[in-house]
Amino acid sequence: MADPTQKKPEPKPASPTLHAREERAKDEALEVPDFAKLDLRVETVEERISPSETNVFDK
Amino acid sequence: MTYFPIRLVYPPQGHFTQPYLALPCIKAWLQQQGFEDVGLVDASIEAYDRFLSPEYLARAKRLVEERLPLSRFESRSELSFGEFAAYRGAAEAAASADAVIATIDEAKRTIRGEEFYDIDRYTPAVRTLYQGLRLVSAAHHPSELTPHNFSMRYSNERSSEVLAATRDEVENPFLEHFRSTLLPRLVADKVRVVGMSVIYGSQLVPALTLGRLIKEALPDCHVTAGGGFLAYIGRKLMRAPGLEDCLDSVVFHEGEGPMAALCAALRDGTPLESVGSLTWFKRADGRVETIENPPMHPVRLDAAPTPDFDGLPFELYFSPRLVLPYDINRGCYYGECTFCTLPTVIGPGYRTRRASTIAEHVVALRDKHRTTHFNFITDCMPPGMIRDLPDELVARQAGITWWSDARVEPKAYTIEGARKLHEAGCRKLLFGFETATPRLLKMMQKGQSLKSTVEVANNCAAAGISVTFYAMVGFPTETREEARATLQFLLDHKDAVREVSLQTFHIDEVAQTYHEPDKFGIRIIDDPSKDIELYHDYEAASGMSQKEAAEMFEEMMAALRANLPIFAGDNIFFFMQKSHYFLHLAAGASPEEFAERARARADQRNTARTSLAWRPARGLRAVPLSHPHADVVRAMARPEARAVRPDFLTGRHEEGALEAAIAAIPPVARSSRVLWWCGETAEFVETRPDGAAALRALQAAGDLSKLLERLPPTDETGRAALLAFARELKKGGALVEDGTIATARASERHGETAPAT
Repeated sequence: MADPTQKKPEPKPASPTLHAREERAKDEALEVPDFAKLDLRVETVEERISPSETNVFDK
Repeated sequence: MTYFPIRLVYPPQGHFTQPYLALPCIKAWLQQQGFEDVGLVDASIEAYDRFLSPEYLARAKRLVEERLPLSRFESRSELSFGEFAAYRGAAEAAASADAVIATIDEAKRTIRGEEFYDIDRYTPAVRTLYQGLRLVSAAHHPSELTPHNFSMRYSNERSSEVLAATRDEVENPFLEHFRSTLLPRLVADKVRVVGMSVIYGSQLVPALTLGRLIKEALPDCHVTAGGGFLAYIGRKLMRAPGLEDCLDSVVFHEGEGPMAALCAALRDGTPLESVGSLTWFKRADGRVETIENPPMHPVRLDAAPTPDFDGLPFELYFSPRLVLPYDINRGCYYGECTFCTLPTVIGPGYRTRRASTIAEHVVALRDKHRTTHFNFITDCMPPGMIRDLPDELVARQAGITWWSDARVEPKAYTIEGARKLHEAGCRKLLFGFETATPRLLKMMQKGQSLKSTVEVANNCAAAGISVTFYAMVGFPTETREEARATLQFLLDHKDAVREVSLQTFHIDEVAQTYHEPDKFGIRIIDDPSKDIELYHDYEAASGMSQKEAAEMFEEMMAALRANLPIFAGDNIFFFMQKSHYFLHLAAGASPEEFAERARARADQRNTARTSLAWRPARGLRAVPLSHPHADVVRAMARPEARAVRPDFLTGRHEEGALEAAIAAIPPVARSSRVLWWCGETAEFVETRPDGAAALRALQAAGDLSKLLERLPPTDETGRAALLAFARELKKGGALVEDGTIATARASERHGETAPAT
């Protein structure tokens, strides 16, 4: 459900592009992407355990 | 015999790995006093088990989709801090809900079964439980339920907020839960007395929620509550307007005597004025008056019966073996530490069972419940008990393993004494170390020297007993340099001290530091608007401020995580889930062996080595995102952001924290990302849309080597980019390496054939 208090929606993000890429990757599984031209940055969140929650013996 | 059903209830939220002790002690006592129908309810483990079921998680998923639809955020040019928690909940639910629903039962089986002992199977299973609870939390946003806490937007320091929380149908998950589960059972049994034990602040709202529902459904049922947390705030609570809709009375200190007297009075229709240690509501002519009865003497502990755990759902605890708690004594024989408020919780004085009684009870419990694992509940054993108990346990061939808290007693924890303890099954001891600063030890009146502390730790370690130190940061007048010296001391002794339970210093209303602030160079800050306040802010004339102590906590914890193998990466799950590390020790691993296993696991994850056999993890699920999830999560880990949530130990909300966080933490701008839930490793990884296409190509190829084979031989740049990409995916859990028992089992699990290795 959309939030009625929000401003006029801006254009949607790039999910169609994503889907297009993914579909292409599926359909042309043997066609290898040009990795050198792709944005291959990966974000990992190492550990999300809050340090304060590590003091568990009193809890 | 009068029909007089009594139910003793442990409300959510408590530890989910083992049963809680006080109620089985009271049950046994009541039965000894002639009450026949006394039932135990661990409402905490019941809630965890139900919340972490496919059916409930499917419901949670629907609620998240209704309350926090991802589409709400898509059109936003940027998200502000105030929206981060909702966005994170929505994004993670969209990526992981279906997979978590599909694998939650298997995760529970892993933790409850033999695969618990396979470190590579255990960790994803625990992660899956955590993610399940995040889904439950998102469904009740902004409430949060974790394995160690339950908190809501409401303050535990104001009765009006606590009472509002008990009525919040949207954000309080326990209203629906109790109505669907426990309440119908209590009504069907026409229960006459419900006694709840509230030992943590996180239980307060769930306990009062249940109390309100019982009082509405069963007007003749007397609802009482006791336990450590209420021992602190019970008197204030019982004077708060509206509380009479949730409770009839509060029991102070140990529950055996008062509960027996209360139940007898209610059964026989005699006045409650004679029930010691009880504060209760006298209701007459539409008026409610709070009556405080005088205290009752504690029971003679050695004459108390063996705790009766019958009726608890042992199969639901998240452990592969039952670990039974047993109280060898109550109170502290030392009783001098200036920061300790134990007498407030357990009552005045020190009481103990004889070593022979303890051994007799433990053997009886071992045989009755077919378990050899015990958690001795004690603040410390006196030197005589440290000598006598091992003899009794060995003489009776108890054949048990156990762990407990301890005080540094150099004359008892000698090399020979420690060996005897190990022979009698002791596998882990937790000592109150507190600080490496002699000046502060003196202020704390700890009565122990650093030299003797190290000696005791080394003796225990040499005997094969794992040592944990409780440490404190921010005791009044402590400087940063002193805290850092404590940290260095801990790191210098990490081969003996395997775990550190670090906490920041807090002032509660019954501590000496509260009543004699001048003695500690502090000024207490009171807030009259908080009618059930327990903890207080303070200003220090010297040393670290509260804020600086909190920062120092972060610094110390980061160093501990970098240096202690059990604290490294997700190995910390073993420390965090009560008794889980102990169960490895009980199964025969020495502290050194386990530390080595933990170290190897952490090293393997951090290694820069690349394997061509890496393949995409099974159960990968992706969701396109409008804003970076990783940026949101990182921002929420900042101290300003964490200050918005109630403090873990005290449950306190920091006034003005939200405004400060919004001012300090920049918004996250829109930018297309793909969030992946990696079912096999139960981790999240975020890529750009290009990365999603690349990961799909990896999936299509099967593994890294096969994809590399398809690259033109001259494409060195592409090859390097792919390898760098693969290394990052591996770190995040999106790629795994076959050839281990864990991955072979994972293949079976997903109905696939494991590749030849």
